[in-house]
Amino acid sequence: MIVGTQKPIEEIWNMVKDFKKVLVFGCNTCVAICHAGGEKEAETIASLIKMKASQEGKTMVVNHLGVMRHCEPEYFEPVMDEVKKYDLVLSTACGVGVNFLSDRTGTIPVYPGINTSFYGAVEAPGVFKELCAGCGDCILHMTGGICPVARCAKTLMNGPCGGTNKGKCEVSNEIDCAWYLIVERMKKLGTLEKLSAVQPPRNWSTSRDGGPRRISLEHIREYEEKEEAKTTK
Amino acid sequence: MATQDVCILEPYRPYGADIKETRPYSPCRAACPAHTDVQAYVGLIAQGKYAEAFEVITSVNPIASVCSMICHHPCEQSCRRCGVDEPLAVRHLKRFAIEKSKDYRRAKRKLVQKTKGKSIGIIGSGPSGLTAARDLADLGYSVTLYEKHPVLGGMLAAAIPPYRLPREVLKEDIDDVISKGVEVKTNFEIGKDAKLDDLAKKHDAVLVAIGLSLSRSLNIPGVEGPGVLLAIPYLEDVAFGRKPALGKKVLVIGGGNVAMDVARSARRLGVQHVEMVCLENEQEIPAWKWEVDEAVEEAIKINYRWGPKAVKRENGKVLGLEVTKVLSVFDANKRFAPTFDNNVTTLLEADTIIITIGQMSNMAFLKESSVKIDERGRVEWNPATQMSSAKNVFVAGEVVTGPGSAIAAVANGRRAALAMHLYIQGETIEGRLPVQEKEKIAEMPSEVVEKISKQPRMKIKHLAPEVRVKTMENFEMGYSEAEALEEAGRCRGCGGGAVVDQKKCMACLTCLRVCPYGAPVVEAYSTIRPEYCQACGLCAPECPAEAISMVSYDVREIRNTMPAIVGTIDPKRKEPVIAAFVCMHHASALGLDLPKNVRAVPVHCTSRIDILDMLKAFEVGADGVAVVRCGSGTCKYRDIEPRVNARVKRVQDLLGMLKLESGRLEILSAASTNGGNPYASVCAEFSDRLKRIGLRAGK
Repeated sequence: MIVGTQKPIEEIWNMVKDFKKVLVFGCNTCVAICHAGGEKEAETIASLIKMKASQEGKTMVVNHLGVMRHCEPEYFEPVMDEVKKYDLVLSTACGVGVNFLSDRTGTIPVYPGINTSFYGAVEAPGVFKELCAGCGDCILHMTGGICPVARCAKTLMNGPCGGTNKGKCEVSNEIDCAWYLIVERMKKLGTLEKLSAVQPPRNWSTSRDGGPRRISLEHIREYEEKEEAKTTK
Repeated sequence: MATQDVCILEPYRPYGADIKETRPYSPCRAACPAHTDVQAYVGLIAQGKYAEAFEVITSVNPIASVCSMICHHPCEQSCRRCGVDEPLAVRHLKRFAIEKSKDYRRAKRKLVQKTKGKSIGIIGSGPSGLTAARDLADLGYSVTLYEKHPVLGGMLAAAIPPYRLPREVLKEDIDDVISKGVEVKTNFEIGKDAKLDDLAKKHDAVLVAIGLSLSRSLNIPGVEGPGVLLAIPYLEDVAFGRKPALGKKVLVIGGGNVAMDVARSARRLGVQHVEMVCLENEQEIPAWKWEVDEAVEEAIKINYRWGPKAVKRENGKVLGLEVTKVLSVFDANKRFAPTFDNNVTTLLEADTIIITIGQMSNMAFLKESSVKIDERGRVEWNPATQMSSAKNVFVAGEVVTGPGSAIAAVANGRRAALAMHLYIQGETIEGRLPVQEKEKIAEMPSEVVEKISKQPRMKIKHLAPEVRVKTMENFEMGYSEAEALEEAGRCRGCGGGAVVDQKKCMACLTCLRVCPYGAPVVEAYSTIRPEYCQACGLCAPECPAEAISMVSYDVREIRNTMPAIVGTIDPKRKEPVIAAFVCMHHASALGLDLPKNVRAVPVHCTSRIDILDMLKAFEVGADGVAVVRCGSGTCKYRDIEPRVNARVKRVQDLLGMLKLESGRLEILSAASTNGGNPYASVCAEFSDRLKRIGLRAGK
């Protein structure tokens, strides 16, 4: 899932202070699970904005709303009439949601209420960990299921580097060295010798380097188009 | 406490009443023949809302005062606390709420506008007749109650001894019914003063609710003659203050609850030596266990497993009852089929014998009417419509259902009232009357039982046996307010807990991780199993999608009412305005006596305080917010503290972002202290600390 964290109220305030009607719009999927931007957190942020407005002597209407997902139009379309009553939408969805919604609100700006952080897992209740970077060319079968793209600070394909330190990364003692983990895991799996092969430079065009990505599933699209054609006949 | 002088004009509906109807009932409610929403009114009592509790009770039961004294409380027998320690003392709580609502109910009595222009005659003013009268009057019909006795109440007035049911208690219920504009014709005996068929012509519909007013007798030698009495005439004498002719040694034949009334009232009439004889053994005796125990306390000897054979007399004077040893009472199919050992007999000495082996209806007037009686002497009726064989003559109560409890007769009276209403409105009755059996939530799983702290039932005090047998006065001391509030707090709120909005839930597992009782099951969405849920409310404020609500209270209520609770903030105030969250159960029990600058925010438990609730208090201008914990050992839930601590810490962090001092939000403890009001003192201390921080400036 996508993990995010709330922006500090000071930053949010600077975004919203010049608007009269603000809607804090929550997304009840990934960012709700990480307690950053679900309906509950949208209401919390709305409350803080109201208090800040009162401290600053500003009059402002601040409401909140939440829908299941901001990344599929069917979820937010039913509330678009409501959304359009505001001067500003402060979305607490991930960046995907902010982008997606702002394409559909016309003259109403959509600002981010949270920082979208990473793709992660719930390591323990309240603890979220980055495990994938969405590079578009998965090599986890070669690294014992531990991703060096996401989990190595240098994104090394042939690690570890000289900065590995008793299983920790030179960036911080808090960070595990991904390549240390990979080696230990491959030992356990009995496939350590696979690591002796040198990996050639990666083709990063499947990742961000190839520009924004779009996937179109012909079998799904085609079906929908045919259905549409049938009904319009 | 606050609502005693307020008259609620709209029917009172507790929060969640509608949701509850669609869910399995709590076992107490399912067990009550009238399906009284027990936990709703117990919850209201726990909050000190007695008039509201009264409304919940009387919405389905117009003889609530009566039931508060005499009900056999099947709710208690089915209480899920039985598996933990002891059942909730529901009847005593009902009595408490009703006694506390006396002024309220009197003020509320008002004539109901008659709107239907149709008239209804009800024959018999016992539980079912009174109930039907009340319900039909409420619906706008002109109701006439016909009662053969000089007072209303049927057997309640004419047979139940006053030591069990004080007549002033009965009067409250009857006055409520009469106040609805019900016309009363007492000393009016159908068959003598009017014929049933004539009444059926006079009224648009007639209800026969005559109960069982005749005692059955025994066909044994010597039964005829002085010294042998029948239960009902004897109990009528007791009820109306006439002295029945009793000797020095009274023997009561029978082991049912009426037999207990007979024997125990004989003790109260001054008879020192009272014995009972019944076919059954200690386990089989049909009387309630508490009746047996109390009778034994009152020095009544019960002779078990003897069957009456003959009344022995000398010169016409009763010497005693010859009895035969009983071998068994029930056959293999549990049907009543007593067998005797005729070789073993004995004489139970007595100069007075009272036969209490059952009752039947006085159907003389029916025999000369168009209502058909079957070959076994029973009224022909259709339970699906409550109708007799005669066109507009309905039947209700024990005349058709057979002997049962007052509350069962109430339930049947309600059913009949609805049937009559449908009939008069020209609507189909069949399939429209409520079914008696209701789906109820399952037994509490053993792993949940283990997690529930034991709290003994608040004992009710009785007058000592040697004192109570000297008078016909009621011998049960009702609860004090403190006792009632404590007992009400024992209710587990079965079925009143968390419900998940499937449209909002994204199966994030938060509730599963939070719940101390393992109630949620998360698949495509979370389902909170009602048999596990203890309604503590810990999960709802944790749900990131706001998908969880509670059946028994509105999770958004605090946020919605906070502006009204905190009120307008005076910019010239000297004292800090504090919003103090207090556990309503604990606080009502202790009595809240807070300083003027402290606004109490009653909560079901601190478990339900949401981060948003605390923020709301600051949003509406409070200088400080206190979460007043009731102190360890008094909470009926578990694992509440760490969650609440974490929420408070989060709010303090958020306040920090607004440059508000974390000291403006504190957790206080109101652990019971000896003397003084702990709420007042901890809040006053907090107030001093806040003054040092300073009042919040508004722009």
